[in-house]
Amino acid sequence: MTLSLDSIPQPPSGALTLETPALAVVDLWKAYGNNQALQGTSFVLNQGERLALLGPNGAGKTTLIRSMCGRVRPDRGQVFLLGKSIRDPDVLLQMGVIPQDLAIYADLTAKQNLECFGQLHGLRSRKLKERVAWALNWIGLEDRAHELTKGFSGGMKRRVNIACGVLHRPRILLLDEPTVGVDPQSRQRIFDMLDELNEEGTSIVLTTHHLDEAETRSDRIVIVDHGKVVAEGTIDHLIESTIGTQRQVTIQASGLLVAAPPGLEWDSEKGRFVCWVDNVADELPGILERIQKVGGVVLDLEVHQPNLHDVFLHLTGKELRE
Amino acid sequence: MIWTVMQTSWRRLKNNRSELFLTFIVPIVFFSIFAVIFGSRDSASSTPKIKIAISDTSGAALSERAVKLLEEQKSLRISENSRSHGASKEGATGASTGASTGASTGASTVSRSAAEDLVRRGMVSAAIVFEKSELADSANGLPKIEILTDSFDQVASQVLAAIVQKAVMTANGELLKEKSDKFVQANAPTPANASMVKSSLPMNLVRTADFNANAGSSGASSSSLSQPPTIDLVDVIGGKKTNPVVAMYAAGIAVMFLLFSATTASGSLLEERENSTLDRLLCSRLTMDQLLLGKWAYLTVIGSIQMALMFTWGAIVFGIDLLHHLDGFVALTLVTAGAAASFALMLAALCTSRMQLGWVSTIVILSMSALGGSMVPRYLMSETIQKAGLLTFNAWALEGYNKLFWRELPLADLKLELAVLLGCGFLFIVAARLFAVRWERS
Repeated sequence: MTLSLDSIPQPPSGALTLETPALAVVDLWKAYGNNQALQGTSFVLNQGERLALLGPNGAGKTTLIRSMCGRVRPDRGQVFLLGKSIRDPDVLLQMGVIPQDLAIYADLTAKQNLECFGQLHGLRSRKLKERVAWALNWIGLEDRAHELTKGFSGGMKRRVNIACGVLHRPRILLLDEPTVGVDPQSRQRIFDMLDELNEEGTSIVLTTHHLDEAETRSDRIVIVDHGKVVAEGTIDHLIESTIGTQRQVTIQASGLLVAAPPGLEWDSEKGRFVCWVDNVADELPGILERIQKVGGVVLDLEVHQPNLHDVFLHLTGKELRE
Repeated sequence: MIWTVMQTSWRRLKNNRSELFLTFIVPIVFFSIFAVIFGSRDSASSTPKIKIAISDTSGAALSERAVKLLEEQKSLRISENSRSHGASKEGATGASTGASTGASTGASTVSRSAAEDLVRRGMVSAAIVFEKSELADSANGLPKIEILTDSFDQVASQVLAAIVQKAVMTANGELLKEKSDKFVQANAPTPANASMVKSSLPMNLVRTADFNANAGSSGASSSSLSQPPTIDLVDVIGGKKTNPVVAMYAAGIAVMFLLFSATTASGSLLEERENSTLDRLLCSRLTMDQLLLGKWAYLTVIGSIQMALMFTWGAIVFGIDLLHHLDGFVALTLVTAGAAASFALMLAALCTSRMQLGWVSTIVILSMSALGGSMVPRYLMSETIQKAGLLTFNAWALEGYNKLFWRELPLADLKLELAVLLGCGFLFIVAARLFAVRWERS
């Protein structure tokens, strides 16, 4: 799956149009010694889109993210932000970067942290004041604005971490595992915040190991492995193009079964009968009937709808990477 | 259970290379460094020599001979600057010094005022002055002997006094022998000419005014210089000071702690790198140049405040004369703090973690402080180590502060120190920038 420079919609005479991708990664290659971290990675983030970037550990995600924000110079390939190369000194200011680590000063207050990163992104005087006030309200820490962040909970620190990256109203937001180590409430709050930004037009790239987050919080998914994009598309597209749309039916039965009911396979690992169906409502009564006919009594039944987890394991395998 | 605790502790130590290095290697490294700095006196070539100037305006044969003997002394080094400095001084100071130098004997001697100036400027540790004695019985040729000392080097004056005593005694013996031999060759040894020999000696050996004559040895003293000559020690710098030791050590302590605090603060750079804040910073409008310069400016200001506080405290409590040297202090403090900030940033940019910075800076700063004279005055070190000390920028800083507060020299006399410190600061910050390139595009 390669993307050529010609295939990216380019704005006529440099003007930005709706078709111009917010972010275009074109044929990126990067090696660290003998380790080929990126091997021709290409994908596009459209304006206003939420894109989940997935991949097992060591797949090249970190190098990819660092290349996208200009912190790694690729051996080959280019990254474009709103139609301009990221080597353009001003273009990076269109991007907000939220690192996985808590990249804030623990010995500054929440307000001081926001002021610091706001100033570094070019905000001054009244504008800075307004944006800091907005950010404190946005992350729900107005009442703790003057406390040192080292005393904050993990979720509060994460929220400050995110706010520091969006103060300057970036057009593209790059989030690397923004919800690591936070409780469900904080996670919900963080995604609500991101949804707000997205509604205002911010394009978002999110990397995460929480596949449910990727499934529910993104418009499109890009799966990276061994430094390459191995699949990309909407969740439905990915399921259909990889493992298919059939539901898996798992049945636990008791009784003297002289043979496996027709159309069902015995899964010795699970100790259950397994079969695949296109339409649960139409096909399930027949399956249950067949079990009864061979003397079985259905104790339990489970219908599993293919999801991103299945797609991910199907594409990247089950073996441990590290 | 106890065994398990011990075993686990040992395994943890074994798995932590930095801690292992700190526990077993760093002490040996320190021992070796300090052994080299303070223990290298056994080599004859590296034995510290006392740098001196000599002024001989007495016109006496004895002093002339003594000067020659002193010039041959391996433990002394007659300042190379003596002659030129003396000559220029003569021109500058006019007839009075010109007259005195006009009577000088020996190729390497200068006028008294020039010698005193050399001591005052720290170009020599002490100066030996031979002058005509004003005492009534000085007609016999015994000069007045003074050693102009700088109590900054408290060892040199004592050692020099002993060397001068020995030289004068030896010179006297040689002269006596020469005269006796000459006389014996020219005349038969009769009681009458024996008395002639006695009266023709270069100095009257029986006189007691300029010698510590021992009354009990009158029989022997009538024919030889049996007692050491009187040598007056004149402290030309420290004598006026109320608390000379404080002025001497304030700079040493201040510079060492300036380095420690600057290095600790520069660790923020590594912290920012470790927690990805650096990535975020460099994704903003900030460039690496601006980041380093910002940190350098901050460390310089903090270091300057630190030095100012320390010397203000020294002025209030210990009587350091800060007010009368304010211009020199401000200039020297700014360049010293700037150089320390650059040095700290260079170390931080060189290291890969805060822990590494911790032990590297401890070793480097303590070694530099030992070499540079923050712990022990450099004059106590061997010549080789003294020269090596000049490679540390804190030796220059200390010399600058000593010139300012100890020798009370004006700002104009600190040009060399200021230039060296400025140069060091520039080189260190350039090195820091080069090391930091790897963080820009990792």
